[in-house]
Amino acid sequence: MTTVKPILLAEDNPRDAELALAAMEEHHIADKVVVCHDGAEVLDYLYCRGIFAGRQQGNPVVVFLDLKMPKVDGLEVLRTIKNDMNLKPIPVVMLTSSREERDLAQSYALGANAYVVKPVEFQQFITAVKELGVFWGVINEPPPEGSEPIE
Amino acid sequence: MESVTQERPATPAPVRSEPVPDSSPAPTPKTGGLMEWFTHWPIERRVLAGFGLVFAGIVVISAISYRNTAVLIENSRLDTKSHELVQLLDSVGEALGAAESGHRRYLVTGDESYLTSYRAVVEQMPEYIRYLRGLTNEGPEQQARVATLEQLIARQLEAEAGAITQREKHGYEGVRHLALSGAAKNELEGIHRLMMELDFAEQRALHSRVAQSAGSTRNTIALLGLGALLQLVLLASVYFLIHHDVIERRRVATELQSRGELLQAANKELEAFSYSVSHDLRAPLRHIDGYAALLSKAAGEALNDKARRYLQTISDSAKQMGQLIDDLLVFSRMGRQDMLRTTVNLDQLVKTVLHDLRLDLQGRTISWTMHPLPEVPGDPAMLRQVFVNLISNALKFTARRPETKIEIGAVKRSSGEAEVFVRDNGVGFDMQYVNKLFGVFQRLHRNDEFEGTGIGLANVRRIIHRHGGRTWAEGALDQGATFYFSLPLSRSLR
Repeated sequence: MTTVKPILLAEDNPRDAELALAAMEEHHIADKVVVCHDGAEVLDYLYCRGIFAGRQQGNPVVVFLDLKMPKVDGLEVLRTIKNDMNLKPIPVVMLTSSREERDLAQSYALGANAYVVKPVEFQQFITAVKELGVFWGVINEPPPEGSEPIE
Repeated sequence: MESVTQERPATPAPVRSEPVPDSSPAPTPKTGGLMEWFTHWPIERRVLAGFGLVFAGIVVISAISYRNTAVLIENSRLDTKSHELVQLLDSVGEALGAAESGHRRYLVTGDESYLTSYRAVVEQMPEYIRYLRGLTNEGPEQQARVATLEQLIARQLEAEAGAITQREKHGYEGVRHLALSGAAKNELEGIHRLMMELDFAEQRALHSRVAQSAGSTRNTIALLGLGALLQLVLLASVYFLIHHDVIERRRVATELQSRGELLQAANKELEAFSYSVSHDLRAPLRHIDGYAALLSKAAGEALNDKARRYLQTISDSAKQMGQLIDDLLVFSRMGRQDMLRTTVNLDQLVKTVLHDLRLDLQGRTISWTMHPLPEVPGDPAMLRQVFVNLISNALKFTARRPETKIEIGAVKRSSGEAEVFVRDNGVGFDMQYVNKLFGVFQRLHRNDEFEGTGIGLANVRRIIHRHGGRTWAEGALDQGATFYFSLPLSRSLR
């Protein structure tokens, strides 16, 4: 199946990443997930450069973006994605611990498609991540490939 | 409308009948009291007092100057009169002298042309007399002299007239001795003496008036000089008062500004701190709970009951700490968040709160007593939080009652405040601990009795304080509790 489009998970904390993967495993969508550990890696992935230079072409079906990340933070990544005509159609879901109004407002202003606060309770976290993965990875119809640049 | 009969110390203190010598208040010392009293005045009053003194000084100086000037004008009028009188006396004396010598020449010669000046005097005398009276009408002594003078002149003229008639009838021989000594020798002497007296008295009055005028002018000049000096001193003091005040205000303003900047910086730091708490503290908690769950799943049946209970406790503690962090963040936000300023219909607000709490109300027998609530100025979301916390509390602490009674009402106070209360028939509290109720993390019940983080009432207090109101509570163990808050009805939000 070469047509399976990946879910991009930007999460600097390896434990959070592992927990998220554990949650998605329950719904057998974990193998679609690509994990990036900072904002720079996310951009490298999206622009097919650095360690992702040789990856299969195509945009991810959705990007789960943490706000606080080393090197390039979540809001910066979001701004880059939404300012690039080719990346703009990718749905971006902010997945963060912050409930601060300022973060919410800024994220939506920059064009985030959803904003989810990570619940402390694991069961709720699992439910949230699972539902997000299913909705964005399975139920939601991704933007057509026609908008992809031909390199 | 409140029916709470709380044990308030309303009993009046017993009156002591025996005298207590020690406690008699010492009389306040009078010396130095005035200065102290003045320095306690606010600046406005002091400046006003200064300007008042300046104004009063101007009025007093003007009044005295006016009086002195009036005296000067009056004196100058009297002086003119005096000079006229002196001149008139000269003329009268001259005319009388001319008439006398003329009439004697007539007596000797019989030549009627010598009678011209006599006749002129007879003709003019009533006029002279009237002038004299007019010029002396303000001094009774001079007036009396003029009256005597008038009589003497009349007698002189009469005597001379008699001599002239004698000369006409009997010729020179008939009046020879009269022609030598004069017909009215005695009267003439009297007239001269009297005129001298008149003249002298007038000159004396004139001199005394001149002295008075000079004195009065000197006084006026001295007064004006002294007054000007005093006004200058007063105005200078007032200026220094105002100047000092302005400098002080400027200093306070600068200090306030720098403190405000410090406060703003501190606030920013606090914001960054709570942001980091919100973001970073939650992650490890999530991991604790998450890995505990993963462990429980991975180990599965291999775990005994004890181990499972341990894992459950780890998970519960993590969740509880998560709740605490969330509540703390809400509490911190309530203090920093900008407030909306609109009119809030509390009746409507309570209705929506009850609607939102309907899940908590399921399976409970509750008798609600709702009194009408006022409209108040404030932030709807914050006030909603107040009612959510108070009503949730009431529900929580009445959970073990067979029938829950909750009453919500308000009293409008004359002080421009609305007092709102939420009363329940729950487990209540000991009034001994009433001061701890509204503190952060303060709880009066063990966690296994009633759940909670101890933030709810602290939030209520914070929100009400930001609205410019107060919070307090009344209750007794096992007899329910009443929570009150007051809100200003006029807009004075902080």
